Amino acid sequence: MVVGEIPESTGVLVIGAGPGGYAAALRAAQAGKAVTLVERDAVGGTCLNVGCIPSKALIGAATLFHDAGHGASLGVVASPTLDWPGVQSHLQRSVEALTSGVRQLLKAAKVSVVTGTARFMSPTRVAVEDDHGLRHYEFDDCILATGSRPMALPDLPVDGERVLDSTGALFLTARPSSVAVVGGGYIGVELGTALAKLGVTVTIVELAERILPELDRGLAQVVLKRLRELGVTVLTGQRAAGLSADGLGLALADGTVVDAEKVIVAVGRVPNSDTLGLDHAGVRPQPNGRLAVGPDRRISRHLFAIGDLTDGPALAHKATAEAEVAVAALCGEPAAFDPAAIPAVVFSDPEIATVGLTTAAAEAAGIPASSFRFPMGANAKARILGDTAGYAEVVVDGDGTVIGVHLAGPHVSELAGEAALAIEMAATLEDLAGVIHPHPTVSEAVLEAALGAAGHPLHVHRPPRRSG
Amino acid sequence: MTVRFALPDVGEGLHEAEIVRWLVGVGDTVVRDQPIVEVLTDKAQVELPSPAAGTVAAVTVAEGDIVTVGTVIVEIDDGSAPTAAPTAGPTAASTAMPTASVPIGTEGAAPPPPVPTIPTGRASGTRPKASPSTRRLAARLGVDLRTLPGSGPGGRILAADVETAARPGGPAAPATTAAPAAPAAPATTTETAGPAPVAAPLPQAGPLGPVPVARARATLGQLPAGTHPLRGIRRLTAASMAQTWSTIPHITGMDEVDATALLEARKRLQASLRDSGAEAEAAALTPLVLLAAAVARTLRRYPLVNAAVDPDGTSVTVRERVNLGIAVATPDGLIVPVVTDADRRDLVSLALEMQRLAGAARDRTVSAEELRGGTFTLTNYGALGGRFATPLILPGQAGIMGFGAIKERPIAVDGAVVARRTLPVVFSADHRIIDGDLSVAFQETVLGYIAEPLTLLLGA
Repeated sequence: MVVGEIPESTGVLVIGAGPGGYAAALRAAQAGKAVTLVERDAVGGTCLNVGCIPSKALIGAATLFHDAGHGASLGVVASPTLDWPGVQSHLQRSVEALTSGVRQLLKAAKVSVVTGTARFMSPTRVAVEDDHGLRHYEFDDCILATGSRPMALPDLPVDGERVLDSTGALFLTARPSSVAVVGGGYIGVELGTALAKLGVTVTIVELAERILPELDRGLAQVVLKRLRELGVTVLTGQRAAGLSADGLGLALADGTVVDAEKVIVAVGRVPNSDTLGLDHAGVRPQPNGRLAVGPDRRISRHLFAIGDLTDGPALAHKATAEAEVAVAALCGEPAAFDPAAIPAVVFSDPEIATVGLTTAAAEAAGIPASSFRFPMGANAKARILGDTAGYAEVVVDGDGTVIGVHLAGPHVSELAGEAALAIEMAATLEDLAGVIHPHPTVSEAVLEAALGAAGHPLHVHRPPRRSG
Repeated sequence: MTVRFALPDVGEGLHEAEIVRWLVGVGDTVVRDQPIVEVLTDKAQVELPSPAAGTVAAVTVAEGDIVTVGTVIVEIDDGSAPTAAPTAGPTAASTAMPTASVPIGTEGAAPPPPVPTIPTGRASGTRPKASPSTRRLAARLGVDLRTLPGSGPGGRILAADVETAARPGGPAAPATTAAPAAPAAPATTTETAGPAPVAAPLPQAGPLGPVPVARARATLGQLPAGTHPLRGIRRLTAASMAQTWSTIPHITGMDEVDATALLEARKRLQASLRDSGAEAEAAALTPLVLLAAAVARTLRRYPLVNAAVDPDGTSVTVRERVNLGIAVATPDGLIVPVVTDADRRDLVSLALEMQRLAGAARDRTVSAEELRGGTFTLTNYGALGGRFATPLILPGQAGIMGFGAIKERPIAVDGAVVARRTLPVVFSADHRIIDGDLSVAFQETVLGYIAEPLTLLLGA
């Protein structure tokens, strides 16, 4: 390997080894390209190391701990105790199992993985800096997949001690007695719910007039009700001003102080488009920091961007899907990122899955739409689980084609795939209602919602809700 | 504000260009510098980038039209409020060269691009109803789903609808959103002399438009009954072939030479390059590189072959430089990039330049400049198969040398018939200035270099 100014040439250079970047590297290698994958931190990116995976591991442990102590109505009486270091090592093992799997796949595919920080030197050359110096790479094609990082608040700088970002909140060495979560989006709600279930006193502070502002109001209301049942204080329309004067709490703009041993800042994410020296590649991010790409994820002929760097929701599965498109395009195949829907799931309590258009979004787009909501209370499995909050809603357009499915209820994240399949296939209500769903499962709620939207619900007595 | 995009001068002194293919249609969202149209000049087919981000408001010229420089060809609504209405002509010209496109010009403050619409279906009321597999089929077959009525329930577009539309005379317009397929070299089964599979122009760039190479075999020679206009490279090829056939009296000599020493020399040179870590150089060193070196040296020795009869037929101009054209087959037809000063390059420089130009020709980044100034041409028709051919001389030149497929064939060595890998070599010359004696001398000199590659070291 040559070190110094003499560049190494590589067919495809992928920058960022998260769920977008590593998938792109694997696919390009499978297509016979010589692939170099540059990663600043750890293979797996935010998702595997400090995002989806450890957070869902924490939520799983928290839910088990909470439910074990709340089973009296099912006839189970227990007083579980919490082994905090045990929870933390569960997180670490989950992360390690998955990232080592990715590392093995990359190795088997003969992807050259380089650790360091990449910067463009010219439109076709990238320098990677590590502790030993600079290494230059000349590429035929380059895929940018550097993802995003938590947004910082100037009044609440993250110090890793009193003020944490979402990463710090996952890897707490001891259970705090109280936390204030600044930001009531899905990350704040997931963390707040998990910590509350682990016995922490939680306050969520949201600037907007409701939590989960990115989701349909009906779904957010289900979650809000359960948060309150869990003892979480939810303050909306409130701005966090900084740590209180005594340093023991979080001061709000209206002067009130929230008791908080730790303050967790979860107010959104910013794309990592500013650290790449993109001006040397002649690329300028949009005002929102994202990169403008064509349907094939091209910035220019040989430069691609995927994942949180491009417009759209900052979700791992979107990045992976874009990786497939970008690699197909650079291999010369006709390819476009044109999903009918990008599913989103929230591991709140109850879980939320939202796929496609809501009636409001359909109306805004000029699509005549109607919908039907089937309450989880009428679903046998939800009853059995003693977890009846939520509903299943199916949205259809004027032709009877399914254009949206929105779910709140137990384990509904697992139903997002069915919903996405229906929407991508342009299934009609008759298609969805004509599919036998197994009994007793939560999936029957989707069938019932489709039957309801078609005007003949079976297990509720209610006419379909019309809109538009 | 509407940005009017006038055809820029993409080459030096270009006056007109043919609109080959629109890559976008009215209503499409484009980002700045996204390729929007393919145009053909007298030298090259190039993609022109969008001068602005926005929505295509109007396409003012049709495919097949021949347009003079300065004519407005497309109008793009950039979404901004109308101001003092500058046109995009001059700006576009400075970014319109068909090199790897740099997305942001340095020539001044462009309006910030609007957030492009991400086609998630969340914002569009007119999304075609088709499953992912049907959408991929449409992209492959070049069918625009937005113009296609669906025959399935709820107006769903079925795979059969797409297949029907893709047939000649089908109802749908060509897709405008699918990325153009990058050309790939056709697979060959016999050992060939180099990276540039070339031959008689491929009949792929008909009025039906370019098709992916993967389908080339199936579509080769396929065209419905009726009269079809010649467009793009096809039109240029037709004109120049007719000109050369009617003005240059061709004589073609054919011979065959034992290629064992040439292949052995190449193998040893490659091993030597690899030993010193020059992997890329080793890969670029194809047998055609050695053949090009042999021809370049031979042209030095016989300047009259490196020449051209002037258009009025009363004088001959002998060229000073040896610039070798290398014919490259692309999905749209034949392109001949030129290796300048081929006689003065060492083998590594020759190899890298030939590889670069062949790649640039295939992915259409070759510049008009790189297609000019050839003094002699090589055609590696053997990459497509075949032993002997009678290649046509390019206008403005006096000769073309072609190489057939290297294959094991019986030859006589010291009175015995043995199997050896042999290379067919053909040489077409302009009989107005080159007689049989010179033709044979030229060809035998090249054959000598092939039989004894070491003599390349001696120079011309």
